[in-house]
Order: sequence, then C-alpha cells, then structure tokens
Amino acid sequence: MSSSGGHQHSQSRAIPTRTVPISDATQLPHDYCTTPGGTLFSTTPGGTRIIYDRKFLLDRRNSPMAQTPPCHLPNIPGVTSPGTMVEDSKVEINNLNNHDRKTAMGDDAQFEMDI
Amino acid sequence: MSGWHLSHEILKDDDSGDHDQNEENGTQKDGEKEKNDRDKPQSSTKRKAVVPGPAEHPLQYNYTFWYSRRTPGRPTSSQSYEQNIKQIGTFASVEQFWRFYSHMVRPGDLTGHSDFHLFKEGIKPMWEDDANKNGGKWIIRLRKGLASRCWENLILAMLGEQFMVGEEICGAVVSVRFQEDIISIWNKTASDQATTARIRDTLRRVLNLPPNTIMEYKTHTDSIKDNSSFRNTKITL
Repeated sequence: MSSSGGHQHSQSRAIPTRTVPISDATQLPHDYCTTPGGTLFSTTPGGTRIIYDRKFLLDRRNSPMAQTPPCHLPNIPGVTSPGTMVEDSKVEINNLNNHDRKTAMGDDAQFEMDI
Repeated sequence: MSGWHLSHEILKDDDSGDHDQNEENGTQKDGEKEKNDRDKPQSSTKRKAVVPGPAEHPLQYNYTFWYSRRTPGRPTSSQSYEQNIKQIGTFASVEQFWRFYSHMVRPGDLTGHSDFHLFKEGIKPMWEDDANKNGGKWIIRLRKGLASRCWENLILAMLGEQFMVGEEICGAVVSVRFQEDIISIWNKTASDQATTARIRDTLRRVLNLPPNTIMEYKTHTDSIKDNSSFRNTKITL
C-alpha cells in the first residue's frame, strides 16, 4: 500500500486486477474469503498476513478454548457478564445464537427492508 | 490534546481492578495462567503482553475492546469522552477474541447512548491518537435491529484481515443511538483514496449491503473541527 511506510521494503509489483462483470446479486460469492471469479491472492504486498474467513472464525467459537471468561474481564453492568456466557441469557432476544447463524449463513435477509 | 498519551496507562488501570479475580479463576485455561506469569518482567506496563495461548490461532494484530457511554447532560469534550471510555480487554488469538465476545452483550442490547470500539492494541479510539489523526472513517447508518449482526460481520472481517489494505485499518466502532445504530471503520490515512475505496468495497461485501446503501466518509480532522462523529459527512452511493 502506498501509505504504509515504515516497514520493510518488498519488491514493488502491481496488484493484479481484473474485472468480473456481475449482473445480479446471486453471482456474488457467499463468503468474503472469495471474490467474484475466484480469490486473487492470499498474501498482500509487504508480506503474508494471517487471514481468516468468517466461517473459520465462527467455527472456532465452539472450541473449548473459546468458552472460558477472559481473566481480566471488568464487570460493567449491562455490558459484560464475567460469570455467564452472554450467549445463554440473551440468545432468544438478539437472534444471534449458533444455530441461527448456521441456518442463516446466506444472510441475504439482513437487508430485506430499506435501511 | 497533549495530555492524553500519558493517561493511556491510567485508563488501563481503571478497568483492571483486582475485583475481577473472582470465582472464575477456577475455570481459567492453563494457557492464560502461564501468560500471567510470563508478564512479570515488564516494568513499563503493569499488564504483561497478551500472546496467543498454546494451540490457539494467532491474529495478525492484537486488538482491544473498549466501551463508552455518554453521561447525560455533560458536554462531550475530548476530556470527558476519555473519562467515559473503558477498556474491556485485549486479545491476541481467535479463541481469546471469542472469550471476550461471548461475555459481552450484543450491541443491539446496549441501552442509552453507548458504543463498542474494537481497535488495534495501542491505538486509542480517539480522533487525536497518533494513528488516527490523519485518518477518517466510513460510516453506515443502520435501522434498529441490524446492529448486532452487522457489527459481528464487520469485526470478523477486520480480525480476519479481509480488508487487504496493509496497515491502514485502525479499528471499528458500533454506536447505539436513539433512532438508529451506526457502524464505522477507521483508517489511518484519509487522503489515500485507493485505500478508502477498497475499504468501502470490502464493507459492502462483508456486510451484504444493498447497492443503494448510502456510505459516508468523515475525516477525523473534520470531526475535531465540528466536535461531531456523524454530522457533516461526505456521502457516496
């Protein structure tokens, strides 16, 4: 990136681009680790970066390592709940539990109505 | 604004009270305990460096969750803003992120005039921070009911390095307001149009925004001038 001065120099090369015409929203990929027509690069100019797509990140949520409360979580009433998983108490209200997420993976309904 | 670099550590300490060492200790992962022990040698900061635990998936950057809530009736000078913002915690891995996220309410369940901020460790969610002062942010206004899902999609994209703009991303904010919720993503260099355009396009994609969604950009310099986050923005379709 032109603006990222300060770190080590890498060989200067233009980012490969091509134009993929899209006439309808259904032609868009379902997850954002891919671009229309296929993912172009997994490393960026300046070096490899640690890239995760949404599905991978969501899957890691179920790992036992992701369940325990963080050890320095401040108790802010109505905001954090060090003792309980927010998941358990709020799930019905905010519609964001894991089951829901899986069935709604396409997520197209999100903007059904005008915002 | 000269004073606030110093207060960074003060803020940290505010929220790191020992009262957090509660009955949850019994369930801490071993990895976290090891990390705690490892921290002792560091003298400049009280808290040791946050690192990924064994077998966890490291992130490209460490990030810090912040929370702020406006005190009703107070003027919003940068000083009072700074007093109202609390650090929730810093994480270095995917698993550590979920530990925080799963023990925080969703933005849609926040009450009042409040914000979650998720910024790279070391960058304060303030216009005046060195990393932000030449930057700006994209703003998307959401009708009520969408904030939780959009916020999650936004921060997952940021943590997973989906924006592909090098070091440019500073952090993301979700702002719960009276009639609307607003999500924004901050970058370092407001004048870098290739970067801001790429961020805008990535936002559209990861949030599944309809093509007619209004997107607004505002430089932090302008925000400092009119002391406002969301007024007088530049609108693009």
